[in-house]
Amino acid sequence: MKQPTPYDVIIVGSGAGGGMSAYVLAKKGLKVLMLEAGRDYKPEEETPMFNTNDEAPLRGVSTPDKPFGYYDATVDGGWTVPGEPYTSDPGGEEFLWWRPRMLGGRTNHWGRISLRFGEYDFKPYSRDGLGVDWPISYEELAPWYDKTEEIVGVTGGGIYHGANLENTPDSPPGILHNTPNRRLHEIMLARGFESMGIPVAPMRAAVIQKPMNGRAACFYATACGRGCSIKAMFQTTTVLIPPALETGNLEVVTDAMVYTVDMGKDNRAKGVTYIDRHTGDHKTVTANAVVLAASAAESARILLNSKTGKYPDGVANSSGTVGKYLMDTVGASSAGHIPILEGMPARNDDGMGGAHIYVPWWGYGQQARGELPFPRGYHVEVGGGQRMPGMGIAELANHSSVPFGKGLRQEMRRQYGADIYLAGRGEMIPNDDCYAEIDSDLKDRFGIPVLRFHWKWADYEINQAAHMRRTFHELIDRLGGTVTRGTGTDGREAIAKGGEIIHEVGCARMGADTRTSVVNKWGQTWDVKNLFVLDGAILPSNPDKNPTLTIMALAMRGATYLADEARKGNL
Amino acid sequence: MTPYVSKIDRRTALKWLSAAAATLLTAPQIARARTYVKTPTGYGTDPDMLNPTSPWDRIMTERQLQVAAVMTDIILPEEPPHPAPSMIGVPDFINEWVSSPYEQTQDDQKIILDGLDWIDAEAKRRFSAGYAECGHDAQVTMMADIATDTDSTYHRFFDRFRTLTLGGYYTTPAGFEDIGYLGNVPMEHYPGPADDIKAMLEERMKKIGI
Repeated sequence: MKQPTPYDVIIVGSGAGGGMSAYVLAKKGLKVLMLEAGRDYKPEEETPMFNTNDEAPLRGVSTPDKPFGYYDATVDGGWTVPGEPYTSDPGGEEFLWWRPRMLGGRTNHWGRISLRFGEYDFKPYSRDGLGVDWPISYEELAPWYDKTEEIVGVTGGGIYHGANLENTPDSPPGILHNTPNRRLHEIMLARGFESMGIPVAPMRAAVIQKPMNGRAACFYATACGRGCSIKAMFQTTTVLIPPALETGNLEVVTDAMVYTVDMGKDNRAKGVTYIDRHTGDHKTVTANAVVLAASAAESARILLNSKTGKYPDGVANSSGTVGKYLMDTVGASSAGHIPILEGMPARNDDGMGGAHIYVPWWGYGQQARGELPFPRGYHVEVGGGQRMPGMGIAELANHSSVPFGKGLRQEMRRQYGADIYLAGRGEMIPNDDCYAEIDSDLKDRFGIPVLRFHWKWADYEINQAAHMRRTFHELIDRLGGTVTRGTGTDGREAIAKGGEIIHEVGCARMGADTRTSVVNKWGQTWDVKNLFVLDGAILPSNPDKNPTLTIMALAMRGATYLADEARKGNL
Repeated sequence: MTPYVSKIDRRTALKWLSAAAATLLTAPQIARARTYVKTPTGYGTDPDMLNPTSPWDRIMTERQLQVAAVMTDIILPEEPPHPAPSMIGVPDFINEWVSSPYEQTQDDQKIILDGLDWIDAEAKRRFSAGYAECGHDAQVTMMADIATDTDSTYHRFFDRFRTLTLGGYYTTPAGFEDIGYLGNVPMEHYPGPADDIKAMLEERMKKIGI
């Protein structure tokens, strides 16, 4: 007789996908073990709320130890993790891989932008013949977006609600929290975009504006990237993992670096093996089902490193597409100095973390008429205002007529808040040159083979980046300003490196065809029915609308399916 | 100007002492020949954010610190109620910055320390007294030379020193007060800009035709 196993499901990872999977499965009464590669982390106790930059080493600037600044929530992570290298194919372009090592993963410092993918986004191949269609439609995912937004708490409603823009779905009434008032520079930027015929929408952000589920409403101070001790900003560590733990059905083990899915004799996954980061011990745990949610590339790495006689190229990889169709977001930015903002009276521009407005893609008509040299859209994110000064404040002196001494203080005051920042975030088409594979020459400090990334932007993306820059330059010009950064319009120079926008998705895409995809529309691997992937790896395309909300909606849907199948005895 | 006295808090000072002691135990003797001993690492990838420390030794000499203090106050003179940079510890911040083990501050280390030594020597040559002692007019004259002559070898020194002075100053509560940063206070509702400020913007936007 088989030993009864204490866990129904093992979840690898605790970020957006893993956190949501644990929440759903534990609430449904399944016994869940969550394995997180990093340390335990409690935003309520560790977040530097209100701390000013002069209290931090080097005024809080970025260093190799803390690449997004001293107060950034990321623990033991960044573009490099000590002892855990990855490589880029020297013949291609560099790919950058951001990894944290902490409970909650990247939800602890994420940008919180929570846009729904639109109806076009699920059928891109049908529209323009590029990439692949999703095996689901917007209508199928819409109810899961609703439920996800209700739990996460998403702002984007209120007086600006109901913009009804093409391929930019709204939420049903009552779900979104009201958007805070626009900041001064946002009023100006909106007017500038509207003068170009480009509509502006309220930002949809995972920052709550009214108390809910033991979380306080945003109090409009302290940057969200530090984490949020009052739980207004969504982190799985404050919103999803605690209620899952309260059910008594979830156990969390941190510092557990999973490296293989272990297969049983009946073509079922029997569990996973991990290395305890402190002791170096290898430990094997078993369950009736396994969910990988370690992040797109890490989940692929685990699959590729899980080699068996039946799966010599890695478990669930009979299609040969694990690691393939890796995508990031197209990014390009400019900054400008706007004289009409000079000398405006002081005001509190903190607001909620991030902008209160954004600019959804407006060029569907132009693309339909064949007027643009790239097929997919981008949205624009904006920044500026009289924010808490960091070291960059010194750059205001570049606009000063007084280099030093008497009069410089007045110039600094006059220029403060007159700089604006514009960033484009666009859709990349999956291509054959962008993928991850196991590097046969290199292992990390645990002895686990590492990933080698291959990357090459195509003309679609490069042309799109150039268009972003031209749009920004036109806007800054209309506002009477000068472009201070991002002055070039060469798309190849403008485009951010692969991975740099930290929206890497793909590597185990969902599909309707077992030969060209790794998982079905539920995130269940075609090859192994009790093995699921529920993170960014399963996205078959990467629309401009930042992926986290969709990762959570797909995880909620996939985990619900998993629970139903488990109850029916189908796994 | 009275000599500058470091405004380092006790916790940071103790941290340096222990870091320096640890370095002395392990550093090879040859390192002692330098004017400073640099700690090998920074604050690490998981520092205590609620009790921050910058655990590396400070490398500026007392003389360099005095020259730096005078320079910060020439760049941003006291204007009551707004204190001079030396009154709120900005020279110590510049010392922290140039002493840091991180590579992005290494360029500044050379530019700033060489520049401080140069301007002090240049003051002695031109005015027969070091930069801290040569008098306000001479101090301003020398600063103006490197500020305006962009071809000067030491214009880069001026540029970087001013960046560190202004960045160090305006990141403090005193700097917030001066420049007009009104945030970092919790509020129940976010009001956005007041009506009269919005009206000012409207007027300006109308003028440029948007």
